[in-house]
Amino acid sequence: MTTTQLPSTPARAPLPWRLRPAARWINLTNLGALLVALFVALPLYWLVATSFKGGNEIATAHLVPHQPTLSNYSDAFSSYGFATYIENSAIVAVATTAIVLSLGTLAGYALGRLAVRGRTGIMVALLMISLFPTVALVAPLYMLMRDIGWLNSYQGLILAYTALTLPFAIWILRNYFLAIPKEMEEVAWMDGASPLRTVWSVILPQARPGLFTAGVFTFVAAWTEFLVALSLDSADRYRTIPVGIALFGGQYTTPYGTIFAASAVAMLPIALLVLIFRKAVVSGLTAGAVKG
Amino acid sequence: MPNAQTRSGPAAAAPVRTPTAERRRRAGSALERRSARLGWLFASPALLVVAAVMVFPVVFSVVMSFSDVQVTGSGIHLGSATTGNYALVFQSGRWQHALFFTVLYTVATVTVEMVLGTAIALVLERMKTGRGWMMALLLMPWAMITVISAELWSYVYNGVYGVLNSVLHPLFGHDTNVLGTPVQASVAMAVADIWKTTPFVAIIVLAGLVMLPGDIVEAARIDGAGGWTIFWKVRMPLLRPTLAIAVMFRILQAFGLFDLPYVLTNGGPGTSTESLAVLGYRVLFQDLKFGPGAAVATSTAALVLIGCLLFLKVFRAQVGQEEN
Repeated sequence: MTTTQLPSTPARAPLPWRLRPAARWINLTNLGALLVALFVALPLYWLVATSFKGGNEIATAHLVPHQPTLSNYSDAFSSYGFATYIENSAIVAVATTAIVLSLGTLAGYALGRLAVRGRTGIMVALLMISLFPTVALVAPLYMLMRDIGWLNSYQGLILAYTALTLPFAIWILRNYFLAIPKEMEEVAWMDGASPLRTVWSVILPQARPGLFTAGVFTFVAAWTEFLVALSLDSADRYRTIPVGIALFGGQYTTPYGTIFAASAVAMLPIALLVLIFRKAVVSGLTAGAVKG
Repeated sequence: MPNAQTRSGPAAAAPVRTPTAERRRRAGSALERRSARLGWLFASPALLVVAAVMVFPVVFSVVMSFSDVQVTGSGIHLGSATTGNYALVFQSGRWQHALFFTVLYTVATVTVEMVLGTAIALVLERMKTGRGWMMALLLMPWAMITVISAELWSYVYNGVYGVLNSVLHPLFGHDTNVLGTPVQASVAMAVADIWKTTPFVAIIVLAGLVMLPGDIVEAARIDGAGGWTIFWKVRMPLLRPTLAIAVMFRILQAFGLFDLPYVLTNGGPGTSTESLAVLGYRVLFQDLKFGPGAAVATSTAALVLIGCLLFLKVFRAQVGQEEN
């Protein structure tokens, strides 16, 4: 793929050995990569650096905080009750992920491996539904939740997120189930294993990468979603992190230091999750692209 | 696994109707019926949730948009059927501006993101070391809470102590609040969007690049094609389905734009950066005009679906023409 570089290397005049590694490193590809890395990382760095700047330093463009302080972090938790938002987000995201993985596994298995009539139609319908802009859903969702008394509750948001993320999870899981050799589950059936047992001990271990992908995507979606959370759970007690951060400031002042401290904390679990499951995330992102 | 081999082996090799084969066949159809029953049992919880929380609201939204909705103390009455909501919405200057803004914003950001994302993917493809780290870095903006990136950029753009102002101040000799004028605010918002979503495009395009058959490129090179020619005449055409998918995803997301304008500009200055989704939300939840609000929301959904279908059609027609 990079053969173009090879012929040109011997033609160059030999460099002093000290310079050689550095000079070899300088080429268009690496310069491009450096630019890309700076483009992505600089704003992220700016956020973290600002979160350590105290009251007066916030208004400066110091690249490195001159007097780093943790006061923003303590403010976020003591004066702004950020712990509640984290707790709410964690409860909603974990519950949503658990429910979506359970229901999605069963449905993905049924629609991929069992003789359900019209399963292709169902899959296409699920895809269409998942393309729908969320703004078209919030008003009826709001009324539905109000009628059953689930506004400003965990279960209302969990139910909404479960429905929003299930179509993608079913698609991902079904794709993985399709690739498992049919003989394996037939053996289990013949040996008298119950269907649930078959899914649990034969299918699931084989589809573990699919579970990771669907799980991470569901969790990230629930952790970052704003519009539905704002519409259904705007009471302070049930605010998730995005709603909490968006409504942090007053009318005229925006406490950026506190916001960024809270943001850095809120981004940590997602960053770890994405780092740990990097391959699963990339395979989920590119599922559409590679299948065509 | 070896069990499976020995069990299915003989039956497959001898399709003669031995008693064993007959029993096996019957067992197969019974298994199929059982499989179908089980299938519905397994699929129904998920399908019911999706139907109750997504299909029903969509239908209800459409019905509401065609109704003379009355909001009373006890709740909402749908009232008589009417197209008045749509007439009201389509004639309002605010909706027309939101439509104009959303379409222009979508076209501009998606174009820049595709070009930039493809360039990044090409760089990543050539990287020999550190590609894994780069991918991890690229995933960060994607996984970031949009509200947080909006707050971050609003700090960068702040007219008094924002970092952009501290760069521009020595040049112009005065403070610059880019969020203060409509055109600059739109561009500033687009930049924030491009920063967050270009990595997503890059990752998709990279996956497409890696999947390209290497021998075709090799053949072109042997035929004497230069790097530039190979890129435009060989790789780009092969990459087009991947690019089309990325464009589709991005159009769908960009058209539903809500979090970024809501937090970064609050639709302002004035209503100059008000997207269709923000307008729909405000009409629904701030003005409590459910009929017109549903009309805004429903027409937004319809427009984006039509837009995607048109794009696919043009894309297919173009590819078809070149194949003939």
